[in-house]
Amino acid sequence: MSAEAHSDGAAANGPMLKLVDVHKRFGQLEVLRGVDLEIDRGEVVCVIGPSGSGKSTLLRCINLLEPPESGQIFLEGTEITGGGAKQGVNFVRRRVGMVFQQFNLFPHKSAVENICIAQEKVLGRDRAEAREKAERLLARVGLADKVGEYPDRLSGGQQQRVAIARALAMDPHAILFDEVTSALDPELVGEVLDTMRELAEEGMTMIVVTHEMGFARDVGRRVAFMDGGVVVECGPSAEVLGNPQQARTKRFLGQVLEH
Amino acid sequence: MDFISEYYFDFGLMGDNLGPVLEGFWLTIKLSVLSGALALAWGLVLAVLRQLPGTPLAPVRWLTIAYIDAFRGIPLLLVLFLVSGFLSAAQAEDVIPRAIGLPEWLGQTSPFWYGVIALTLTYGAYMAEVYRAGIEAVPRGQTEAARSLGMSHGQAMRFVIVPQAVRTVIPPLLNDFIALMKDTSLVSVIGALEVVQVGFDVQTSEFNGSALVLGALLFLLVTIPLARLVDVLIARQQARSGRGGAAPGGGQPESTSGPAAGPAGGPAATGGLGRA
Repeated sequence: MSAEAHSDGAAANGPMLKLVDVHKRFGQLEVLRGVDLEIDRGEVVCVIGPSGSGKSTLLRCINLLEPPESGQIFLEGTEITGGGAKQGVNFVRRRVGMVFQQFNLFPHKSAVENICIAQEKVLGRDRAEAREKAERLLARVGLADKVGEYPDRLSGGQQQRVAIARALAMDPHAILFDEVTSALDPELVGEVLDTMRELAEEGMTMIVVTHEMGFARDVGRRVAFMDGGVVVECGPSAEVLGNPQQARTKRFLGQVLEH
Repeated sequence: MDFISEYYFDFGLMGDNLGPVLEGFWLTIKLSVLSGALALAWGLVLAVLRQLPGTPLAPVRWLTIAYIDAFRGIPLLLVLFLVSGFLSAAQAEDVIPRAIGLPEWLGQTSPFWYGVIALTLTYGAYMAEVYRAGIEAVPRGQTEAARSLGMSHGQAMRFVIVPQAVRTVIPPLLNDFIALMKDTSLVSVIGALEVVQVGFDVQTSEFNGSALVLGALLFLLVTIPLARLVDVLIARQQARSGRGGAAPGGGQPESTSGPAAGPAGGPAATGGLGRA
């Protein structure tokens, strides 16, 4: 359904996303201390690690919500960091969607309006086209009956699925997921993960910051373990989760999997 | 005792002056509604200018802040004198056209228009601060979500932030409108025959305050329902935000205190959704 998003041929061979020595600091606090990462088209990479390790900041650097201090980020072969910052911002935001921990739906707009607004104002789609797409996407995330509902009438899981549909409506080439189930009641986590699983099966490129180790194991092709602002270990999910090489990874997984 | 009731509640005198008092009050209403509408718009413009992003636009922000600080900090009466004095002098010296220096648009007198200008300049600054509180109370995640969808700063403000902000600050804006309405009486000092001036003229000639009391009653006829409306809106917002939803409780306590009440308090508490 979203396959058309992947059709532009630019840099079809190289990695979809490439991070080179990315640094980010907030005042004295150095949150990212040189992150290198490559993500291929259609790949699902799960980023795990203790809180404060820089996972969320990494995602926010990728779509330039937080511009990195130094280092380079290439999206489909085009550098989005450095000079021409504004161009980089537009380039990445047109191609990379984001889903947030707190959903961040627009509370003054209904589910369908949440999905239509950027289609109309950013992509210039006409109202009918945007609405049709929005309704199709709502049906796809299992919310066909919630079209006109306002966010405060939806459960957390439903809100998050609307947020996913909202990101999808922009035909992104990749989507960043920032701890999207962390704010949900436990019984609502499954419905959101299922939606993400379907997306992954359809070939969406996804970078998923998560504490859901099961999801990372089953859906993630690769897992990156972050600690102290660097990627400590990155590799196929089964290997990193099943047979970690680094002591810090072992310790973290030991703590997480105990529970 | 008799003297008191006669001085304030001489119904005969009220009846005799009902026409002029109502006429004066009609002018008060026109002044209030026009200035209020213009101040609402001007205040929003100021608030948005104040939030412009980026280093190159910093001078615009500074100028806006300086403007707001200045007009919040000087008495309306002073602004009124400065505006009317400047405009009438400037047209007398042929610096500006007569139609602007002595405006008599839409059949209203020059003092009326001087009043509209001064009230808009001053209350625009008050209302800018109210809007700002509302804008700052919208969780940061809203801007981030809008920007992540590719919206520009301007689009995010226009379609996402400002609509939410305005909703939450309607009650404090109404409070400011009530204060503005009462401040229209100051325009009498430069010659507008609004309700207080009419009542005062009667008091001066008849040694009786009943026409002023009649004016006061007319004010209350409008301001008390407005104050109740503010209460209702605040209660409704609080009921809505009870679910951790959109509306921060942007309400001030109901207050119709004088013009010196200044801008509504600091940013309303957010719903606690913002991420660190």
